[in-house]
Amino acid sequence: MTGKSEAKTTAYRQTLLAGLWRENPVLRLLLGMCPTLAVTAAVKPAFTMGCCVIFVLVCSNIIVSLMRDLLKPHLRILMFTLTIATFVTIADLFLKAFVPAMSETLGPYVPLIIVNCIIICRAEACASKNRIVISIIDAVGMGIGFTVTLCILAGIRELLSTGKIFEMQLMPEAFVPWAAMSMPVGAFITLGLMLGLVNKVTNKEA
Amino acid sequence: MLKIKHFIEQSWLLITASFFFGLLIAVTSAALSPRIEQNKINKRNRLVGALLPEAKDFVPVEGGIEIESIQGKKETVEVFRAVSAAGECVGWSFNAIGPGFADKIEVVVAVDKNFEKFAGFDVLASNETPGFGNQIKFDYFRDQFKGAPAEGLTLATSGDNTKIDSEIIAISGATISSEAVVDIISNAINQIKKQTQQKGLIGDDRQK
Repeated sequence: MTGKSEAKTTAYRQTLLAGLWRENPVLRLLLGMCPTLAVTAAVKPAFTMGCCVIFVLVCSNIIVSLMRDLLKPHLRILMFTLTIATFVTIADLFLKAFVPAMSETLGPYVPLIIVNCIIICRAEACASKNRIVISIIDAVGMGIGFTVTLCILAGIRELLSTGKIFEMQLMPEAFVPWAAMSMPVGAFITLGLMLGLVNKVTNKEA
Repeated sequence: MLKIKHFIEQSWLLITASFFFGLLIAVTSAALSPRIEQNKINKRNRLVGALLPEAKDFVPVEGGIEIESIQGKKETVEVFRAVSAAGECVGWSFNAIGPGFADKIEVVVAVDKNFEKFAGFDVLASNETPGFGNQIKFDYFRDQFKGAPAEGLTLATSGDNTKIDSEIIAISGATISSEAVVDIISNAINQIKKQTQQKGLIGDDRQK
């Protein structure tokens, strides 16, 4: 009995860690590039975006996992999209009601979570094949992996483009802000360098 | 009959889920929409309130005012009458939208009660280049409009930007964004002024 539950715990831990590092959606699977590039000019919107994705991911994984035995193969993508769109709309309404300023900053990128590949990928690859507990753990792991990566990327960009992180001054007075870092070019360069670094580290591991 | 049975067999989950999800969104929306509406009103009151400090309340002009946008499309603009605590008209405010350098620019404009002078403007939505075009949000550019005559705005690339007159000095390195703001505002204000005059709203304190 203990052996079985131990195996279970290991499986849970493995699933959780997969999202954080081994299968990190942004750095390893290269999914969800649109929000990664678009909302990482500052840490606050990146963090809000991450929270929205975690919420949608967990809810859609739960629903998909619950109805996995009822899914017809040719209608499954339709069901995934319907589920995801519902929760994204709810998340969007909540942002508009409680953090209107942040909702404006994120603009169209919140509704665009509907077509975010991470969520549909997890519904297809995990939730439609696994029990609810594994699905939830997978969603949390992937969601946190996504959020942490976005926050790191946004942190680097915000620090170099304004000298602040979370709107707190960190750089010395003499620092000249790099305006380019808050523009799309800054997103591409930072993400490229991050991916290169991660590839180097993982090559050494292997 | 067989076809219908097959159809229902295949799609009952989709149909049920659509109803269920639809209901879920409807409930959330119903619960949150008053708050969302209030947020919009608060935002306008905050922005325009900063431009027209005497204003206590904003009364929409019935039916709005139809103007022709810069691209030649007809659109209806909501115009608000700013009313002071004593019930007098202290100014007007309206939103104007038009093409900027990278994306649409939406501004809220406030003018005095006779549409003669600007009380100022503020940017509601824009996506201009950081460091250059997005300086349209900065005080030094916006302050040029405070007290400037409402008609005949022009743009100059150099000059004294602390002098208040119909000449707006462009942001250096962002002439297109500066020009866009001036064009958007003057296009809207000319048409709105004419129509409010026709409706007999300007200079009439009995209108409440």
